[in-house]
Amino acid sequence: MSYVSVSFPQLLLSLGLMAMAIAISSHNRLGLERDLAVGTFRAAVQLFAVGLLLTFVFQNQNEHPSTVFGVIAVMVVVGGWTAARRIAHGPGTAVLFRYATFAVLVAGVVVLVPVFLFVIRPPRWYEARLLIPISGMILSNAMNGVALVFERVFAAVNEDVAGVEQLLSLGATPRQAVERHVRAAMNAALRPTINALLTVGLVALPGMMTGQIVSGTAPDEAVRYQLVIMYQLVAVAAVAGALAARFARALSFNEREQLRTFPDPRVR
Amino acid sequence: MLLDGVDLRLAGQGITTLGGPSGSGKTTLLRILGLLSDPDEGQLLLDGEDVRTLTPHAARRRIALVAQAPVMFPGTVLDNVRTGPRLAGEELPEATSRELVLRAGLPPELLDQDAQSLSGGEKLRVAVARALALRPEVWLLDEPTAALDQNRANLLVRLLRELATEGAAILVVTHDARVLDQLEGPHFQLASGRLVEARPLSGDAS
Repeated sequence: MSYVSVSFPQLLLSLGLMAMAIAISSHNRLGLERDLAVGTFRAAVQLFAVGLLLTFVFQNQNEHPSTVFGVIAVMVVVGGWTAARRIAHGPGTAVLFRYATFAVLVAGVVVLVPVFLFVIRPPRWYEARLLIPISGMILSNAMNGVALVFERVFAAVNEDVAGVEQLLSLGATPRQAVERHVRAAMNAALRPTINALLTVGLVALPGMMTGQIVSGTAPDEAVRYQLVIMYQLVAVAAVAGALAARFARALSFNEREQLRTFPDPRVR
Repeated sequence: MLLDGVDLRLAGQGITTLGGPSGSGKTTLLRILGLLSDPDEGQLLLDGEDVRTLTPHAARRRIALVAQAPVMFPGTVLDNVRTGPRLAGEELPEATSRELVLRAGLPPELLDQDAQSLSGGEKLRVAVARALALRPEVWLLDEPTAALDQNRANLLVRLLRELATEGAAILVVTHDARVLDQLEGPHFQLASGRLVEARPLSGDAS
């Protein structure tokens, strides 16, 4: 089996697909033409930039294994920042950023290190080809888990200030007073990953497995790889969500166990 | 500044009433006394002890805060009445819950009803029963008779008198003449954040 590559002229041909979408938007007056045009361009620039960066890292990994970890560190920080953005009714991006980054980092380490050490076992401990894409998938799921938990906990508490304070009045600890909201938030954070687990293969093949099969890997091998990844995705969402829930709860109260209310969001 | 120079002493075995126009700081004062907010300055003593030295959730168990429109937790009236003890890991026997509901002026048949479907007046009395379950030393009530008819308002006043006799210190925020006429304890007015004594404490009630 051989790898079939896509040349630049062939790639340009695929722009016809975007033209199709733009034509539909224009014909139906959806007003999405501008976003589609910008998106076409941005996606290309971002992916080519990442491609160049990865090429550079792959070429230099033997002399500088640290560049591999530099890339992963950037993923952690960007993931933390993204998860901390646009959280309404929270203490603001500046405060949440630290906690989000910590949660993404810890969850990523807890889930990635053992899998690389015992399951995937790369030929070299800094093997960029394996470390970077897999870390990327896992860290972005951690990021989504943290963002969902932050979003949900702060919103739910803000909606139920009277209920939470009523529980406090009856002697609830902060943990007890928001238990219901925290549980619902963690549930919501795990839900998308669990749904993916339940429906995988029935409708769509996961991206990584598709990629492996397209590039010539035997399907049964791609399946085993994909399963490891999916279990990792679940675990990382659980760990990141649990940490984020703990932080959100701590940030919702002051040291006198009083509910803190945050002025309406100007966190964008 | 919402409240300024407020000096208030709630005596055990006494019922203090507090009035004042809306926006004068009554709710803020109740929140501070209920330990849900801290004053910027000043001290709050509970039985002679600075509340800042106490564990907040333990101290709150000793103070009942009954809001004007109390929140009902999901579940039945029984679940609601059991909430306080449950938070401390104790299960209130159903018979005890029945007595508390009865004492708060509700028919015991209500125990199995969905608490959130009750009327405003019923919710208020569930909140009273819910607070009774913790045997608080201090009661803070915000316009408790607003949703009650004359009869039920009288029953509530009678309950408050009983609680005071049993030793509780009670503060009732109210404009209700039906209540004020029946309670002879000290009465205060809050006016733009300052406390004015309108009717002095009769006799020694410390």
